[in-house]
Order: sequence, then structure tokens, then C-alpha cells
Amino acid sequence: MKLGRYQIKLEKKSGFTGWQAAVISIVAILFALFLVGFIFLQAGVDPALGYQEIFSYAFLNPFGLPLTLNRAVFLLFCSFAFIVPIRAGLWNIGMAGQAYAGALGAFAVALALGAKGSQTPSLPGGALVGLMILGAMLGGMAVGAIPGILKGKFNTNEIVTTMMINFIMFWLVAYMIKEGGPFMGSGGEGEGFKLTESVRPPLFKDTPFTLWVSLALAALLYILFARTKIGYQIRAFGSSPAAARYAGISPVKISLLVFVAGGLLAGLAGYHYFAAVPGLYKIPKNYGDFGDLAFYGIICGLISQGNPLASIPLALLFGGLTNGGRFVQGKLQLGFGIDYALLGVVMIILVAFQFFFRYRIILKKAEKEN
Amino acid sequence: MTDIKHGDIVLAAKGITKRYPGLVANDRIDFEIKAGEIHAILGENGAGKTTLMSILFGLVQPDEGEIYAFGKKVHFRSPLDAIDLGVGMVHQTRKLIPAHTVLENILLGHPKAGTILDMKRAGEEVAQLCKHYNYPLDLNAKVWHLAEGEKQMVEIFKALYRGAKVLIMDEPTSALAPPETEKLLESIQVMTRDELAIVPFITHKLPIVLAVSHRVTILRRGQVVARLDTKQSTEQSLAREMVGRDVIFRLERGKAARGRSILRVENLSAFDDKGAQALTDVSFDVHEGEIFGIAGVSGNGQQALAEVLAGLRKAKSGRVLFDDAEISHLTSLQRWQKGIGYIPAEQRTVGSIGNFSLVENMLMNYHFDDAFSKWGFLNEKKARQLTEALIAEYGVATPSPDVKARGLSGGNLQKLILARVFSRKPRLIIVNLPTQGLDVGATEFVQNKLLEARKSGAGILLISEDLDEILALSDRIAPIYEGKFMDVIPAESAVRETIGALMAGLEKKAAA
Repeated sequence: MKLGRYQIKLEKKSGFTGWQAAVISIVAILFALFLVGFIFLQAGVDPALGYQEIFSYAFLNPFGLPLTLNRAVFLLFCSFAFIVPIRAGLWNIGMAGQAYAGALGAFAVALALGAKGSQTPSLPGGALVGLMILGAMLGGMAVGAIPGILKGKFNTNEIVTTMMINFIMFWLVAYMIKEGGPFMGSGGEGEGFKLTESVRPPLFKDTPFTLWVSLALAALLYILFARTKIGYQIRAFGSSPAAARYAGISPVKISLLVFVAGGLLAGLAGYHYFAAVPGLYKIPKNYGDFGDLAFYGIICGLISQGNPLASIPLALLFGGLTNGGRFVQGKLQLGFGIDYALLGVVMIILVAFQFFFRYRIILKKAEKEN
Repeated sequence: MTDIKHGDIVLAAKGITKRYPGLVANDRIDFEIKAGEIHAILGENGAGKTTLMSILFGLVQPDEGEIYAFGKKVHFRSPLDAIDLGVGMVHQTRKLIPAHTVLENILLGHPKAGTILDMKRAGEEVAQLCKHYNYPLDLNAKVWHLAEGEKQMVEIFKALYRGAKVLIMDEPTSALAPPETEKLLESIQVMTRDELAIVPFITHKLPIVLAVSHRVTILRRGQVVARLDTKQSTEQSLAREMVGRDVIFRLERGKAARGRSILRVENLSAFDDKGAQALTDVSFDVHEGEIFGIAGVSGNGQQALAEVLAGLRKAKSGRVLFDDAEISHLTSLQRWQKGIGYIPAEQRTVGSIGNFSLVENMLMNYHFDDAFSKWGFLNEKKARQLTEALIAEYGVATPSPDVKARGLSGGNLQKLILARVFSRKPRLIIVNLPTQGLDVGATEFVQNKLLEARKSGAGILLISEDLDEILALSDRIAPIYEGKFMDVIPAESAVRETIGALMAGLEKKAAA
């Protein structure tokens, strides 16, 4: 392409390091924030003020920060649920459904063992919390296994199956918590029942213990892919299914494994938000919002290039932006949807900037045409 | 065509240089082709042939240097410019539309076909062209019905009908059975009488170069190392220039003690990917210390056979026995563990993983080995030591075992795959097109390794379309055609012409 006296050339890069990717991502975020600045201007708000409000509420405010963290943890579990299958070359779009399944699993345990409302459960709290987590994991795994088996045995498109299961699970939750459903709360306002005091897990350093679980999982998953046999087999399958098959790796085993693992991780996301976050301890009326949030896990997973450690800052950023965006919208009386606009622009720009992972642009003086 | 005289320089390249990151693919290359001449370009993989060919056809622009067509300086921005000036290209992987007729394929992309298509007149003109070169071609046949050699002729006529006066041919004989090769060579020799200039690019079929070309330009590491008159060259001299050292063409097969039967195949039939019958009722056995060669042009069921034996494809019917025990139901993993090694034809897509390092590629045959993992963790140190040792033993040219396999040349990658499979000391080795696309030096190496494995007592099932290779290596030879063995012939009584005819599907009696 020519631009005045200069010629612009694209050159394919042979590869990129983690640091280059990080720098490119940061530049992309700054550029996106610059663009969204125009939306603020158009609304008559100084962009600097807008961003100051967003970030100070999201990351410094004593009320805002816990909200950010809770969302970030939810997102982080969802990104793991996306990352594990994507390393095998398979797309998990079903984090929302798997998270719902996790929540249902946990609350089913609570209901069965009498941890509903003001009842006194038959088991000590610690044991019950353990069982609820187990229930969440099993719920997520069961729902994850379906696309896994369909993919492995019949090569059914996993994007379609995981996506469709999301709808099924959404309405299953609705059935369970609404009027007449087994998980219905006492008020009958379309909410789930509240957990008994004793099964509300204790906070650890003023944050839900699931935060620390998610960070530990990031490290574990990183090691899984870098060092272990099963991690190697997943990566081999993801890089080249034909070569993996040649090397004796079973496609059925890998497909099932990554989707069951993905379901498990998303199930933990459901447990985290509905059973471990202070002030909630129930499946709320607006549970669908969390399903929407789960989709940001895809973006975190894609931008981090499947690296579970790199998705930590991304989950924090997106958690903070959804949270701060909503706050600033109220405080500065901006039009509806500024938080979504902000997220949308950040994501599109981040994805678009991935171009620079693969190409570099060279500017040189054009030769004279003869 | 009338204004070109015999011996006129029709296409010339002067000082062509093309750099890619980390390598100079073409380094000040001079080349010229005269009307009525066959001027072969010879070089190993990575010598810069593909780059030069792409530059001459306008697919790639050189960084430096000039191209002259018919004495005038030209600047090819795209292949269209080259075609308009009379340069035609015959690709190695045929770029024809299988479901269309021969005539439709020939007309596709022709400037006349864009506006008003007079099929009848065009058909007559093409038929005239075929008649002129004495090559009968059914213009209304669908391309997928044609044999490989005929498809190639369709491409040639396509270029000629567009007015090509220079024909660039990429590995023209690589997919052809011996009788088809001869037919093709005859046809292009006829064409030179009309002052056509022909530039075949060739990697390793030296006898063909000697049989038909007038001049040879040899490339090595991006530079022209020799320009020879074919009359004054021999196979040895061409190979020496290409590789940069002497190459021994005679392989020492030697005697190997033929042991007991290690693989037994009974009435095996299988489908291909499209669900068509690829293999029909094949029975044979392979002994320890024996190379059993299956000779055939690709696409006659060899792929399905290799995959069934490796456990990657389900058989339709029949049995496979290894070491006298039935293995038909075993997975590929179980077969690796039993000592069956498979070297696939698709080095890049099946035999290796491009974005994995060489160590990780080595693990493709070791991740399931208990000696290489503990508590589910891979023993990276051990894998690295093994990789380094094998790289040294097999002479894989690489800066480090941490580079990606994608960056290895075809020959080096094949050495790596061979090293990986052989290091498991398999008792049976299934090897499909082991030297396909390899240069003379690497071919010699791979063939010697196969003979070594035979000597150490492994049974080897060699699948190849290179008849010379089959004849040089095999103890018994089975020509395969349309999924059936035409015969099984001991090496002592193998006659080259007979096997060539059987590969092409000619009946045994007719060929004898």
C-alpha cells in the first residue's frame, strides 16, 4: 500500500514472546480507552474524570473493590473453562450453562442435607461446604461431558452443542427457583432459597476463599500444560489432531477429558458467585446476568492465548470495567449502556491488535515508479 | 509463434536476488532459456528452486535483478502479467477442477471466456492443438476420470491455448507411473520442435534430466553452481554439483537373514476417507529381516493399507496378525507399544507437529513410555538428552533441539521422524513414501537406514512410487493397482519393465 511518498509493507513475524504480547495488549487497552473517551466527550463528560471514577471505584473504593474481585474470580474460572478445551483445539462456549449446573449441583447438596434457610443441617458446616463444592464440580462435569462425548464419538460441532446447552440450563435454573420449583426461596419472588449460616464459607483475608482457589488453579493449570503428560497430549491434539492420533493419543479421551475439566472449572464459577460471595448465598433473580458475564471468559482466554496466568490480569480488568462502568453510569448520569460500550470497544480493539502478534508494519520511502 | 527463431532467448533472468528473514533464497541468479530448448533447473530442497520458479511466473517479486521476456525488460506484478507475455506454468499439484470437463478446465481463466464463450469454436481450436501434438485427449471427459499423466497434459494444453511460449514445469514426473512418464517426455520433446521453451524444475529424478534436456542449470544454497550441457554430463556429475559431494548411487543391499513371519495380512479390505473401496482382498506376509516393497502410483490404496496396519483406520474386512497374534482390534497406541513403527507419508501434518519443538516432537513416540514420565510429569531432561543424541546420530541440521519442527527442511524433518521411530527399535516398520520430496543426499541416507534396520532383523513394509527405490531396497515386490496386488515378485526375478507395467494396471500377461 502507498501513503504519499511512503510505502507500507506488511511482514509476517516468525513468532512472538510473552512480553511482546503483554506490551501489545497494554497498548491496545490504552488505545481502546482513548476511543471510548469520545463517548464521554459526546456525553459532555471529561474523559479523564470518567476514567478516574471508573478505576478508583473498581480498584480503590472499599465497596467497589470487593465487587470487582468477585466478578474477576467468576471470570477467571470461566476463562479456565475456556482455556482447557481450547488448548486441545476445541471451543467451549458453554461456560454459562456449566456455571448454572455448578450452582444447581451445590444447592442440590445444600437442599438435600438441610442447609436451607433457617434449618439446622444434619452435618457440620465444613463437611457441607466440601460436599457443596463437590456437587458444583459434578454438576459442571456432567454438563461438560455431553459435548465432550458427542465431539469425541461422533465429531459433533462442539460450539453448537455447548451453546445450546446454555439455553437448556438457563431454563432449568428458572424452573428450579421460580414459583413451585424445588429450589424456590421463602418469599416466592422468583429467587432461590438462601443458604444457612453454617454453610456460608468463611472469608479469607476479607475475600471469598474461592479467590485463592482460582489463583492456585491458574498456577496448577500452567504447570499441567507445561510439564505433564496429559498436558502434552492435550497440546498435541490441539496443534494437530491427525498427528496426535498417529502418536497414539485417543481423540475420544481428549475431547471428553477437556470438556469434563472445562465443565468442572465453570461449575466452580457457579459455586463461587452464588454460594461463596458475601451477601448473596442464593441463586438470585438476575442469575442470567452472570451467564452473560461468563462469555467474557472466552475473551480472556483468547487474549491470553490460552495462558492461565495471563488471564489473571485480564479477568481483573474486565471485572473492574464492568463494575466501574456500571457505577460511573449512575454517578455521572450517563446514558444507558456505557459500561457495555466500554467493554465492547476494549474487546474489539484487543482482538484487532492481535494482528500485531503476527505481523509487523514497515514504513519506507516509496521507490519511483518507472 | 512465427516471429520466434530457433535459439532466440525467450526468457532471461539477470542477477535475481530474493531475501527472506534469515536466508537468501536466490543469490544473484542468472538464467536464460532459448526457443526450442529444454533447460532443466536442478537443485536439492531448499536450494532456491521454488523461489526462482515463483519469480519467473510472477508469484513473487525479486528484491533485486531483472527479467527479460523476448529481449524486453519486464516487470511481473502477478502471474497474469507473466501469462500475457507467454509464460505458462504446470503445477506439481494439479490445479484443475475435477468435476468439470477437460475443455472447461482449459478455458477457465482464458480472456476469451470472460465475455462471450463460443464453446464450439474453442473446442475445435483445442482439438486442433491436441492433434498437432499428436496427443489424443477427450475434451468432454470429466477431469476426475483422467489418469495423472492426462491431467498434466490438460494443464499443458491449457497453457498452450493461452499462447504460452515458455512452459515452466514443477517436478513434472513426480506423480506419474513409468509408462506415463515416458509418454510425457515424448510429448514435450515434440513441442520443442515448435520452438517452445521448456523449463522443468527437478529435485531428484536425474535420469529424466539426462534423457530429455539440452542444458541444465544447477542451484545450491540459492546460487547457480553449474551450467552444463546435458551431453557432457553424467548422473554422477549432476549429483555431485547438486549435493556438493560424491553420491553413491548403488546401494549395498547385502544379505540379511530372513527370519520368521512377523506380519501376516489376510484378505484385508478397507475404505478411503470418501467411503470408496480403496483396498480389496489383500493378503501377504512380511518376515523379519525382509523389506517387502509395495510399488504403485499414489492413490491406489497404499495409504489405506498403511493406516489400517498402523491402527489409524478401521478395516472393512480381513485380519491382521503380528507375531502370530491378531491385532485387528488394537489401537494405534497399543501397536506402538507392541513394537510396530509407522513412518507416514505426510511428514508435516501427521508425522510431526510444526509448532512443537524438536524435543516435543520426539515425545510423540515417548509420551506413553513409562521411562519418560513419573507421577504424570514428563521427564523433560531425559527427552532432551534423547533428542540431542538422535540429532547427532542422524545428522539432523538444526541450531538447537528447541527450534520448532516447522523450520526444518523436508530432509531434516524426515531424518528426525526416522530417528524417533527407529529409536524405539520396532520389530515391524511400516514406511510410506520415505524419500518423497527429499533431495539426493537425504534419500541416500534414508534408504541406508532402512537397510540397516533390515539387517538388524526388523521386518519392513516399504510403500513407494519410486520404482528405482523399490528395486534397490526390496526383497519381494508387490505392484499395487486400484487396491489390489497385481503380483508378488521376488527381487531376483524382478524385471523393471514388467513391474512398471503392473503398476500402471496392465495385465501380467499383456505386459510379459
